[in-house]
Amino acid sequence: MSEETTTGLSHNKLAMWVFLGSECLLFGALISTYLLYRNKFYDGPAPGDIFDIPFTSVSSFVLLMSSLTMVLALAAIQRGDIRNNRLWLLTTALLGAVFIGGQVYEFTTFIREGLGYTTSPFSSAFFTLTGFHGVHVSLGIVMLMSLLISSYRGKLTQKNSETVEIIGLYWHFVDVVWIIIFTVIYLVPNPTS
Amino acid sequence: MTDTISEEVTEEQRPLGVYTRPKGGNGWRDWITTVDHKKIGILYGAAALFFFIIGGIEALLIRLQLATPNGTVLGADMYNQVFTMHGVTMIFLAAMPLAAAFANYLIPLQIGARDVAFPRLNAMSFWVFLAGGIFINLSWLLGGAPDGGWFGYAPNTGVIFSPSVGMDFYAIGLQITGIASLVSAINLTVTVLNMRAPGMTLFKMPVLTWMLFVVQLLLVFAMPVIAVALFLLMFSRQFGANFFNTEMGADPLLWQHLFWIFGHPEVYILVLPSFGIISEVIPTFSRKPIFGYDFMVFSGIAIGFMGWGVWAHHMFVSGIGPLSVAAFSLSTMFIAVPTGVKILNWIATMWGGRVKFSSPMLFSVGVISMFTIGGLSGVTHALSPADTQQTDTYYIVAHFHYVIFGGIIFGLFAGLYFWWPKVFGHMLDEKMGKINFWVMLVGFNMTFGPMHVLGLQGMSRRIDTYSPGFGFEAWNMVATIGSFIIALSVLIFLINVVTSVKKARGKPPCGPDPWDARSLEWMTPNPTPEHNFDEIPTVESLDEFWHRKWGTDDEGQIVRVATAEEVCQKGTATGVHLPSPSYWPLIFAIGLPLLGLGLIFNLWLTLPGGILIVTALYAWIFEPVDDPDGPHGDHHEVNEEISEGASDV
Amino acid sequence: MKKVWLVFTAAVLLALSGCAADAELDTLQPQGPTARDIDNLLDPVLIIAYVVFFLVFGATVIIWWKFRDRHEDEKFPKQIHGNTKLEVLWTIIPTLILAGVSVFTLITLSSLNSRETNEITLQVENESVAWEPEVVVIGQQWWWEFRYYFDGLDGVDLSDARNLPPADIVTAGQLVMPIGQEIELSVTSRDVIHSFWIPALNGKRDAAPGRVHPWKLEADEPGVYFGQCTEFCGLSHSRMRMQAIALEPEDFQTWVDQQLVDQTADQITDEAVARGLTVFENQCARCHVVNGVNEDTSIGADLVSNAAPNLTHFMSRTTYAGGIFNLYEPDGTVDRTQLEAWIRNAPAEKPAYAQGRRGMPALGLSEDEIDDVVDYLQTLGTPPSSFIIQATEVD
Repeated sequence: MSEETTTGLSHNKLAMWVFLGSECLLFGALISTYLLYRNKFYDGPAPGDIFDIPFTSVSSFVLLMSSLTMVLALAAIQRGDIRNNRLWLLTTALLGAVFIGGQVYEFTTFIREGLGYTTSPFSSAFFTLTGFHGVHVSLGIVMLMSLLISSYRGKLTQKNSETVEIIGLYWHFVDVVWIIIFTVIYLVPNPTS
Repeated sequence: MTDTISEEVTEEQRPLGVYTRPKGGNGWRDWITTVDHKKIGILYGAAALFFFIIGGIEALLIRLQLATPNGTVLGADMYNQVFTMHGVTMIFLAAMPLAAAFANYLIPLQIGARDVAFPRLNAMSFWVFLAGGIFINLSWLLGGAPDGGWFGYAPNTGVIFSPSVGMDFYAIGLQITGIASLVSAINLTVTVLNMRAPGMTLFKMPVLTWMLFVVQLLLVFAMPVIAVALFLLMFSRQFGANFFNTEMGADPLLWQHLFWIFGHPEVYILVLPSFGIISEVIPTFSRKPIFGYDFMVFSGIAIGFMGWGVWAHHMFVSGIGPLSVAAFSLSTMFIAVPTGVKILNWIATMWGGRVKFSSPMLFSVGVISMFTIGGLSGVTHALSPADTQQTDTYYIVAHFHYVIFGGIIFGLFAGLYFWWPKVFGHMLDEKMGKINFWVMLVGFNMTFGPMHVLGLQGMSRRIDTYSPGFGFEAWNMVATIGSFIIALSVLIFLINVVTSVKKARGKPPCGPDPWDARSLEWMTPNPTPEHNFDEIPTVESLDEFWHRKWGTDDEGQIVRVATAEEVCQKGTATGVHLPSPSYWPLIFAIGLPLLGLGLIFNLWLTLPGGILIVTALYAWIFEPVDDPDGPHGDHHEVNEEISEGASDV
Repeated sequence: MKKVWLVFTAAVLLALSGCAADAELDTLQPQGPTARDIDNLLDPVLIIAYVVFFLVFGATVIIWWKFRDRHEDEKFPKQIHGNTKLEVLWTIIPTLILAGVSVFTLITLSSLNSRETNEITLQVENESVAWEPEVVVIGQQWWWEFRYYFDGLDGVDLSDARNLPPADIVTAGQLVMPIGQEIELSVTSRDVIHSFWIPALNGKRDAAPGRVHPWKLEADEPGVYFGQCTEFCGLSHSRMRMQAIALEPEDFQTWVDQQLVDQTADQITDEAVARGLTVFENQCARCHVVNGVNEDTSIGADLVSNAAPNLTHFMSRTTYAGGIFNLYEPDGTVDRTQLEAWIRNAPAEKPAYAQGRRGMPALGLSEDEIDDVVDYLQTLGTPPSSFIIQATEVD
């Protein structure tokens, strides 16, 4: 598969970059929608009433750490260290899963407190934006697990470390997006009812 | 019937085990499993023409309804469905895929590549597009077509105001075709960036490839925005989300912003391929190089960039503030500059040339003059105060049909006539082509010219009927007659295709270079062999093919240095390694509409859809990268004998 | 009509039939200062556009004529790859032209958005009121409502159009205004997006639910100016029409005087009318209001407007059902046949989703009841002058 390319980047990696460029606008549009509606909580809970910032900060930290472990996983496979590669891939996936678990917990708490998907424009926008991000993280976990499985089947070696790199690109992107979402949703001063 | 090789493949030969890949051939099975960019291009073209005819029939129904005041051909409800579907069909299912047909077929050939970067994804894009197109049209049978306009302004598209399933089909169907566009755009972007022949720098690429490249980038960034808009609509309709619930304080303008942030780049997504096509045709038939290549390319890029800063000119009366109106008014005005530069460059290319007005050239000159009308009326909308009178009247309908029909359909027809011999190895009949053009030109101007007058006389858009006494009667009748003349011209085209195919049957393919063309794709024989190039050429200049045929003597006169036959490759190479066909793109594509139907009618239906999609994805990953039988290009009918000797390569 | 030819000269053949004498929606015949500003901006640009088009078209004709290949040899013309000077020139010249045009665009845009502070003195219930002419314009499927608040709009909350404070005058389909005055409009909607457009007086402005969009109208001369909803708003979009009726100030005062009178049931002597009132109270009053007879209870649910035209001065208007039917024959007699057909089965006369509370339903009234209720309707309000009856006539 040593095909020469004009840019020197492999097709797969270039495609991932272009795809992530496209994703920027997907999240851009969703974030804009949220910003438009953060004050439109109608009769339901306002963002300032319901967010648990310490909790979300912790799960955000967990997700951020997973970027670090992703870097370690890539470094391991690049030097041919299959064992550590597996370890860090698994850690990354687990950290991602913890984040998703936190999101599930957060969602159920919100719903219990009266913020359902159809409560207000704010609630719809909130669940849609964070939900889209959650789906992205989940797909990332699926990809990491697939890497892990193919590693155990002996198919993931130093030679195809680029696959890890490309999935890493995706993973880092999803993390960066979360930093923006976290800032936009939780950190800016939020209205209360 | 097919020459499929079906020996059992032993376990060791399969790199990853379980799945085998289908083999090449020429039967229907080959078409549904093909990953060849040329066959996919042909499939895109055929599907686009099919939907073009459907959209055209819808247009005729609209014109029949409006031929006389108080028309009763369709009735209000049916009229709203028909005009919505006319727009959706023509834009998403005809113009875009027809451009995709050219992009798929020609980009690899023009940059000197054997295929696109991701052949299976390419096949998937086509099948997903087709599935989406069929899905949207299924709404006719399953409870009513979308009735909220192709622009689908909220909140009129909400469940309360549009209770039929039509808008669900719209939201989900366009999401499906959007996946196709996005994947294809990523694929072709990578192809252009990564797969150019040696020596083919970006600024030696033909203008068509450049324009198509800009289009792919526009798609990459525009599709996610419409995707979000459609998700918001879908979630609102399916799950009761409140994005457009004005009672809860939602802003109906959100949809408009999202839709037009996609929608305006979409206009350039539609028009740039046509600009690219005529930029190939005009130099060829003027026997001159394109005038101001750099300016042509940069104006295309400029249009691509500026196209992102003009969306709110669709919203001058929607209630956005006067400052926004002023800003978008100015940006809209100045986007006319790069467009004007293009038109002047085309004229300068023809100027001083020895112009042959063959049918591709006629259609190209048609683009120049008709698009100019559309562009100029566009400038009158950029005057935002004047637009408050014009918007949502037939003046706008006239404007964008001069752009989309005059600027795009004419250009795509130029491309069809120009590359027909390249694709099918025989010419379309020139005489009928010329008749085709003149009839279309007359019909087009009769249909859409009067709409300028109607609009300025105050005829509103999207009305299913009008009263007598406003001065609308005569022009509407003229427009209706014109629309049937257009239909006649399309019929002439179809007859031309059928008779030309018949005439060519049993005869050897036409020569390699019927037009004295300029760019790399003509270095392959007609029709293009499966492996494209026998040998990837090394590119030294823009218009590489032409420069290999013609040189200059000491006095600066142009003299022939080689005949086309000499320059053109023979297409006889064997043992060229090509990607293998695959079932999974099609299977994946079938899953999507099932998923959609499930969301609309019964969630259980999502189960088979989901299973198909997941199976296809996994099979896709685990099917062998290549056919273990080795090289392709061997089972090609033309060179069957030669292939025998080469099968052990 | 002359100017239409600026736009489409090629169609000479159809000139006679195409330019009908009456074109009440014509955008190129401004009848007020704002529309005139717009027209003055457009006309020179149309001329520029014409010049450019003929240059381009002329060039193609010359190419066709002069540069057409008439030889069959392999000679090439001079190979020119480009000319940077030319390119710069034809980038700069259009830029400069457009820059000039944009200056005028901005000037017109600012005049379009400027607001005069004008006042007229009105007699409202024997009191002199300084009224800054303002009308609230509300679109809904598929008719227009116009509300007049003579105390000004300062304290009036328009944010929820389905729940508006009572107005001094509520009318439908026909916006009545004094001439020579800039009327400020506050345009909004009770359901989906509509667009309010009186081409002779001004461009259009969308009416969007939850939003109030400012706009203005001014007419030079007394007259009737036609309009049509221009934002696609569902089934009967094409049947959502309106008119602006511009009156001399004293005629406007008379109209105001008449509109301010409530209807009272105790004046009714005719038996048929009394029976008609009962039908109205039992059936029509669920949605329609006659001031003095019932209260406005039309605050809708589920996003649909749920409102129906206020009928207090029904006979003072000349059209109904979204401006598509004439209430009067040209000679001033009431067109009972059409009105009865409308009351008998409205959805058959104008497409609507009556079952979804969008549009008037068929009430299943008996023929006698229909007769009676039409008799009653005929007592509501003063018929307008025969000039207005004729000028407002719709086909």
